[in-house]
Amino acid sequence: MSTEGKKHTGYYIGLLAILGFGLFMTFGFSYGARWQMFFIFLTAFFYIIWGILHHLIDHDLTLKIVIEYILIGSLGITVAFFLLKGGLF
Amino acid sequence: MFVVLFLFLGGFFLSIVRTNYPSILGVAADISIERLIMLTNIERQKQGLPPLIENSQLSIAASLKANDMFVQNYWAHNSPDGKTPWYFIREAGYNYTYAGENLAKGFETAEEAVKAWMASPKHRTNVLSENFNEVGFAVKKGRLNGEETVLIVEAFGNQGTAPSIAVNRERQEVFSVSDNEETASFPSVSKQTLIGSLSLTSNISKIILSVFMLTLILDILVVKRKKIIRFVGHNLDHIFFLGLMFILIMGALGKGVII
Repeated sequence: MSTEGKKHTGYYIGLLAILGFGLFMTFGFSYGARWQMFFIFLTAFFYIIWGILHHLIDHDLTLKIVIEYILIGSLGITVAFFLLKGGLF
Repeated sequence: MFVVLFLFLGGFFLSIVRTNYPSILGVAADISIERLIMLTNIERQKQGLPPLIENSQLSIAASLKANDMFVQNYWAHNSPDGKTPWYFIREAGYNYTYAGENLAKGFETAEEAVKAWMASPKHRTNVLSENFNEVGFAVKKGRLNGEETVLIVEAFGNQGTAPSIAVNRERQEVFSVSDNEETASFPSVSKQTLIGSLSLTSNISKIILSVFMLTLILDILVVKRKKIIRFVGHNLDHIFFLGLMFILIMGALGKGVII
C-alpha cells in the first residue's frame, strides 16, 4: 500500500472509531433519550474535529470546508433533536 | 443551513403542538395489560421460570402509583414527598414479603417496553426474579412535566412466606393516595391521537437524511465522471456520518425511557 493509501486508511479508521463510539453509546443508552442526545452531540463534535484535522494534515483546509463539516455535524445533531424533542420530550 | 434551522425550530414547534394539542399530535400508544403480562411471562418461560399471575391488588397499586406521578408531576421511583413504591403496594392491601417495581414511559407498544426492561440488567432482574409470583400493571396516558406521555407501572409481589422482607431497593417507587375509583381496571391505552409524534418526526428525519445522502452520492458520481477538481469536504465522510444517524433513527432513537 502506498504512503497515501496508508494515510487514508488511518484517517478512515479514526472516523470509523468515532462513528462506532457514537453507535455503541447511543444504542447502549437506547432507553435514556437525554443521554442519547448527549452522545450524538459528542459524536458530531468529534466528527467535525476529525474532518478539520483531516484536511489540515492534507493542506487543503479552507473556511468553506470547515463550514461544510460544521453544517453536516449540525444536521446530525438537529435530526436527533427534532426526533427526540418533537416526538418524545 | 436552512434544513438545520428547520429541524431545530421544527423540534420546538412540534413539542409545543404536542403539548397543547395532544388530540392532533400526540403519543400514539397501543399497549394492553394482557399483552404486557403475556410478554413478561414469555421472558420468564424462556428462563424456565414459572409465570407471574396477575393480582388485582398489585394492579391497583400500580395505578395508584401512576396517578400519583401525574398528580405530583414526577418521574422517579420515590415521590417528592418521600413515598416509596411499597407505600402504594401496602395501600392497595397487598401484604408482600417481596416486592419490586419497574417504570417505563414514552413507549408505543408493549413489546418495546418489555424489550427495554429486558435490555436493562436491573429491570431484567425484576422481570426474571424467582422471588416474585404475582404482578400488576397500570398503563396510563397523561401529562408529565408539561408533556403528554404514556406511563407503564409494573408492580411485582409475593405474599408467600419468606425468610425476611426482601424488597428490591433498586426498583423502589412511590405514589400518593389519590382518588382511585378508576384504578382498579386499566385495560389498555390505545391510539387516541391524529398523528403519532414519534412516527412523524422519525419519518421526516429519515426522508431528510435520505435526500442528503442521495445528493452526496450523486455528487460523487458526477464529479468523478466529469473529472471536476474542487476543494470541498469529502462526500464519503458525510455519507458515513449521515448513515450513522440513519441507523440510529432506525434502531435506537425515540424508544421511550425506563427507570
